[in-house]
Amino acid sequence: MLSINNLHVSIDNKQILKGLDLEVGPGELHAVMGPNGSGKSTLGYALAGREGYDITEGSVTFDGNDLSEMEPEERAAAGLFLAFQYPVEIPGVNNAYFLRSALNAQRRARGEEEQDSMGFLKEVRASLKALKMDESLLKRAVNEGFSGGEKKRNEIVQMAVLKPKVAILDETDSGLDIDALKLVAEGINRLRDDARSFVVITHYQRLLDYLKPDQVHVLSKGRIVESGGEELSRRLEDEGYAFLEAAEA
Amino acid sequence: MSALQQRLDAPPIEDDLQDLRRRALRALMTHGFPDLKTEAWKYTSLRQLDKREAGQDSGSGENQASRPDLPFDATLVELRPGARLPEGVRLEPLTADHLNDIDYGGREDAFAWLNLARVKQPWCLKISRDTDRPLVLAQTTGEGFSGDRHSLLRIEVAEGVEATLIDWQHDQGAGLINQVQSVRLGPGSRLDHIVSRRGEDSAVIQRTQASVAARADYRFTVLDQGGRLHRHDVLVHLLAEGARGEIDGVALIDSQQHVDFHTTIEHTVGPTNSRETFRMLADGSGVGVFNGRIHIHRGADDSHSDLNTANLLLSDSARINTKPELEIYAEDVTASHGATIGQLEDAAMFYLRSRGIPATEAASLLKRGFAGEPLERIQDERIRAWLLDVLHAGLSSP
Repeated sequence: MLSINNLHVSIDNKQILKGLDLEVGPGELHAVMGPNGSGKSTLGYALAGREGYDITEGSVTFDGNDLSEMEPEERAAAGLFLAFQYPVEIPGVNNAYFLRSALNAQRRARGEEEQDSMGFLKEVRASLKALKMDESLLKRAVNEGFSGGEKKRNEIVQMAVLKPKVAILDETDSGLDIDALKLVAEGINRLRDDARSFVVITHYQRLLDYLKPDQVHVLSKGRIVESGGEELSRRLEDEGYAFLEAAEA
Repeated sequence: MSALQQRLDAPPIEDDLQDLRRRALRALMTHGFPDLKTEAWKYTSLRQLDKREAGQDSGSGENQASRPDLPFDATLVELRPGARLPEGVRLEPLTADHLNDIDYGGREDAFAWLNLARVKQPWCLKISRDTDRPLVLAQTTGEGFSGDRHSLLRIEVAEGVEATLIDWQHDQGAGLINQVQSVRLGPGSRLDHIVSRRGEDSAVIQRTQASVAARADYRFTVLDQGGRLHRHDVLVHLLAEGARGEIDGVALIDSQQHVDFHTTIEHTVGPTNSRETFRMLADGSGVGVFNGRIHIHRGADDSHSDLNTANLLLSDSARINTKPELEIYAEDVTASHGATIGQLEDAAMFYLRSRGIPATEAASLLKRGFAGEPLERIQDERIRAWLLDVLHAGLSSP
């Protein structure tokens, strides 16, 4: 599904990712953990195609396509979704209009029929309800005046409506209270099936307790330095990242 | 002699306004036309107009290129004798007696003087009853238009009456359209005054001055889709307690276009309230000018005002000069102002594109969101929806 080989990414000529390898199969959920500054968000942005995140070496293929050849909107239409760590405010554009534009732009790009407004509203309302978000959010400008938690939950609503093949969630759990964290985890779990894959970037064990990842990876200084099962995340929770330094020393 | 000066040589019209016209012409000759050294015109050059040969004055109906195409019922007000109007609305010719006390300023008001010197028939629109349908003034010119058009209209809204006036302007010519509107709101009345303007090569110069009586409410909204040279002065005088004035505007400016708005709100007594939001978007080699002045006079205590101007530069060669001015001489006043000039945000563009929205559509969505705010405040839902549609079409066209 998503195959990352020897990925090198630099920003303003500064090398951030230095040979990252990651293989995510259909239906799998991978957790990526790692200390601040290790390159986790860079990975998310580079996969989604943000300008200035230059792939200098290595490759990323998604569903057989070379991601580096695709514009951000083409990646989205192909089924890649990034839940932002800091969702962006778009003044004057209401949430419903934005989300429907996004959905239909993706459908057009895939040669599918656009979704009518009734069907769209039905679906988005169900997602809002599941995440205990008020319907009035649809009429408000995208992320404007949203609390931190609302912004994060709004990312999950978008994911539920857009139904990507692979979702990269960049610290979607940070800044959430315990109840909201549970809602977000349930939102993610509802979308899991044999085909859809997830890369969950997080600092905390708590979210992973709900998600039961297939694999846990530790990113440090731009590379995956350790991979394992759920027990690895528990070890990190107990010991912190100190063992990385010990291993490197 | 410049082409602008030559416009003054047209033969005088002989009727009972001739003395008034002569007075206006003398004032104009004394002051002259503004140039870049005139403070209120320092960013707006008249060179384009000055170079241009004036054609025949074709102010009559032969250039009525298009009629307003509004998706709701409205009453078209034609400025001619015997025009049909609903009950409670009258159109009367203004006579010399009505106009003798008109006085404008110096060089900065040259076009108002020119208007008075050249106007054929000034009119007064009297609204003495609530109207359920908006009144519409249409100002259109066809492709062949190259003359001068000078119109002078007084609009009077009687005590306690609420009305909506749509000023629909569509120019396709290359002349001079010079309009003066003087609005008088009686106590407790309200006028929603909405201007939708689309230009071509004509110079469109307009002055809208409003006097607002006690508890009356003047709401001015403009959507200007750009043109070769547009200059609009909006002057709102809050004259008595409880008077309110609001100005909301959007200007879309493209290559080889120049749009200049100068607005002034005078709080002459207190408590009075005002609010203003203006957005300009300039693309290509377009130039925008905005000067918003709020003047709270001595003694106009307990007044409130808020002025906000935000601007988007969509190309490297576009220019916008924006300036909020706040002058306060009263006590217990709350007043705020803000001005920003920026470009489309990379972060917002990426966010939209990461959701599958292609770059051009994402840019147009961001522009819509930015430009729509002043129009979102229009109270009448039908008019709001119509004007937002006009805006969106304007932003989508190449």
